[in-house]
Amino acid sequence: MKIVVAIKQVPERDAPVRIDAAGRWIEEADLQWALNESDAYALEEALQLKEQHGGEVIVLSAGPERVGSTIREALAKGADRAIHVDCDDLGQRDALAVARLLSAAIQPDSPDLVLTGLQSDDLGYGQTGVILAELLGLPHASLILHVEKSGSGITVKRELEEGWFQNIELPLPAALTIQSGGAKLRYATLMGIKRAKTKEIRRLTAAELGIAAQASITLDRIALPQKQKTTQILTGTAQETAAALVEKLKFEVRAL
Amino acid sequence: MMVLMPFTLAEPAAFPVLERIVFAGLAIASGALFWRRFGPILHRILQSRKDADFRLAPFGRRMWEFVSQVLCQSKVIRQRPLPGLAHAFVFWGFCAFALVTLNHCAVGLGVGFLSPDGFFGRFYFYFAAVFALACALGILGLFIRRFFVRPRWLGAKLSWESGFIAFLIFFLMVTYLAAFFVPGGSPAIAALWWLHTLTLLVFLPIIPHTKHLHLVLSPATVFLSRGSFSRIPPLAGDEDFGLVAGADLTRLVSLQAYSCVECGRCTEHCPAANTGKTLNPKEIILGLRSYLNEFGPASAEPLLGKHNPPIAPFQCTSCGSCEFQCPVGIEHLPILVGLRRGAVNTGAWEDDHGAKLFLTLERGSNALGLQTSERDKFIQKQQFPIFDGTQEYCLWLGCMGGYDPKGREIVADFASVMRYLGTSFGVLHKEKCTGDPVRRLGNDLLFQQLAEANLEALTQNKVKKIVTICPHCVRTIQEDWKEYGTPPEVEHHSEFMARHLSQLPKPSQQESIAYHDPCYLGRYRNVYAEPRAVVEHAGQLVEAERHGERSFCCGAGGGLAFLGEETGERVSHVRARELVATGAKTIGTACPFCNSMFRDALAASGGNAPQLLDIAQLTARSLPQQDAPSAS
Repeated sequence: MKIVVAIKQVPERDAPVRIDAAGRWIEEADLQWALNESDAYALEEALQLKEQHGGEVIVLSAGPERVGSTIREALAKGADRAIHVDCDDLGQRDALAVARLLSAAIQPDSPDLVLTGLQSDDLGYGQTGVILAELLGLPHASLILHVEKSGSGITVKRELEEGWFQNIELPLPAALTIQSGGAKLRYATLMGIKRAKTKEIRRLTAAELGIAAQASITLDRIALPQKQKTTQILTGTAQETAAALVEKLKFEVRAL
Repeated sequence: MMVLMPFTLAEPAAFPVLERIVFAGLAIASGALFWRRFGPILHRILQSRKDADFRLAPFGRRMWEFVSQVLCQSKVIRQRPLPGLAHAFVFWGFCAFALVTLNHCAVGLGVGFLSPDGFFGRFYFYFAAVFALACALGILGLFIRRFFVRPRWLGAKLSWESGFIAFLIFFLMVTYLAAFFVPGGSPAIAALWWLHTLTLLVFLPIIPHTKHLHLVLSPATVFLSRGSFSRIPPLAGDEDFGLVAGADLTRLVSLQAYSCVECGRCTEHCPAANTGKTLNPKEIILGLRSYLNEFGPASAEPLLGKHNPPIAPFQCTSCGSCEFQCPVGIEHLPILVGLRRGAVNTGAWEDDHGAKLFLTLERGSNALGLQTSERDKFIQKQQFPIFDGTQEYCLWLGCMGGYDPKGREIVADFASVMRYLGTSFGVLHKEKCTGDPVRRLGNDLLFQQLAEANLEALTQNKVKKIVTICPHCVRTIQEDWKEYGTPPEVEHHSEFMARHLSQLPKPSQQESIAYHDPCYLGRYRNVYAEPRAVVEHAGQLVEAERHGERSFCCGAGGGLAFLGEETGERVSHVRARELVATGAKTIGTACPFCNSMFRDALAASGGNAPQLLDIAQLTARSLPQQDAPSAS
């Protein structure tokens, strides 16, 4: 099975994000970068499919030079080769424009399966994957926790709400967006990093893919979210307050 | 002559030619049998990979270790005085006997050079007789111990070969001594000579395939050892991932595997082996020996498998008591960590907790998996100055000091001690885990990333001196980071406080405090006196039954603090019981990991648990009240 995994490099989860002088983007110089979490699960799913059924895993990522480190990490974990769409104007492209870049890069390989994370940890559009499927003309399913090969197609486990799951079958080729937490991620190893050195990373520009460097989105201003701290005092009998607390923990804080 | 010396050694004057030929034939046969077994062993050792980092220098250190550990038997005696002395007498007896034996064989060929009539010969025969007596008594004692006292670390199985060899050694001595009592000219002289000789010739071929191989190898093993404690050798080249298969075994490892004398000192003190885990350090070494015997040093067969269970190395707390005790120079930690490296660097090790720790440190900054902003909040609350190059010390918080509630209390108290003394210090704005747990777990990729990131931050901030509450950080910064750069000077807070004790107030009440030696401060750094001085300043020091160099681990080291539930009994519970048994009111610790382990162990034991305080907290209690903010 030939699988393409589209991955994104995002700021590390607890990196201190600052807004740049122009107020239109974040200060990138000091940031630490990491692989988007749900993309890590998409990669893991692809690697497990390859281990079971053979084939090839190709990672694909769009972004500037720095994306190379995340690509190498994916190669170290077991991907066979990579495509790097070299562009430093991702902030000016919306989900559709990014999906156009990715689909143009994927098409020549005509893979059996295209996987990507459900959404990015930085912008969180949650659209790129599904638009990509549309552009490639592939059947797709979102919020996938697990993929299994069955006959000529696949069976996937989808997460619904309130602890419900849905198992559906899809023909191949197909595109899926993967939800975090479905599999156990593997750790990066020294052997993986050393083997990754000899793997191919093909670099393409938007122009080479026949896509114009034209802004599809203009950011006027960005702002950090306001932190709010509110205290509520629950009143009533012990039983009432306990019930109210459970309610809040379940549905407002979502800690239970 | 006979009046002055009632006994003399009767040597056969001359042998008929036929007897000489028989002796020569037997000696050659015995030597050949010895070589048939020893040759392949030597070959396997020499066929192993070269130790890339091996240096003969410093020669003085090697000579000293040889004189102390081999010739003077220091380790053998110190750890087990009575059997140790018995062994030393056997060893010294053998040494004294070398010349006698040489002469003995020479006599058989008609070229004896020591004569009981000459001055030196007479002196030497009596000299050797004293040692022969001591040796005979020594081996008798060891025989009684092995076959009747039977300490459990010698293993449950009685080895008839051990008994037979003890008998041979005893008989060698007896046949030598008996000759003193035989009148000159008696036919018994030749009979004794032959008995002695035959014993010797039977003994020789048994050496290579029994633990008595240590007679031949261990002097070399001690002399050639890496020297520094728990030295993890750097990986050599792009295809070295640690001890994966036979082809990764180095000459030192193979030599050590064949040197094991199976005394079980390592097992006796191992926290894992004593709490029902699979790991038994002696079996690891013997497992490698069996591997070499079966597959050889060029094999691609995994080392973890047939002869060593894959789980075993991962139950090691890296406390190092095995390596510390070993009298034949075996370095267990490079081997155990090497096996872990082999499994982790290739991704063969699958463990949910381990993978979680690795992923946490791949992405985040600390082993506890908390947000870096939590550390910032703590620093702000404590009003710790940020290190800017003007302060004397960089106060390294570490994962426990920066993120763990109890660790934070310790750091806060140590900071108040520094403030009281007027010592300037600052903390780094950004600090990552030193990589201690991943270093011990064998993840070289992650360790390198963490070490390099930290070294860069320290260089940027021009840090010259570090002080920290965590012995694991001290060890890792000082020794392990060397592979990737030049770390700044670093010391443990016990050393800092011990230096300033005269300036620190003493409490009026003298409560009893049982001090627990952290492995990474004691065995790893040889710091025993400083924390004790701090404890004695704060109260009355009480020693647990096992303390100092032979202290028992808390169970947290080697990354095990992060690996979840243990099998068998918990190491921390065993140690906490020992500390409680001292009857001390307080347990004093000097490592935040020990502290955290005992906190849980004491809570689980319930009842009237003693209070648990770090030496920084013991010291800070007596400081005049300051307006310092409270911890956490």
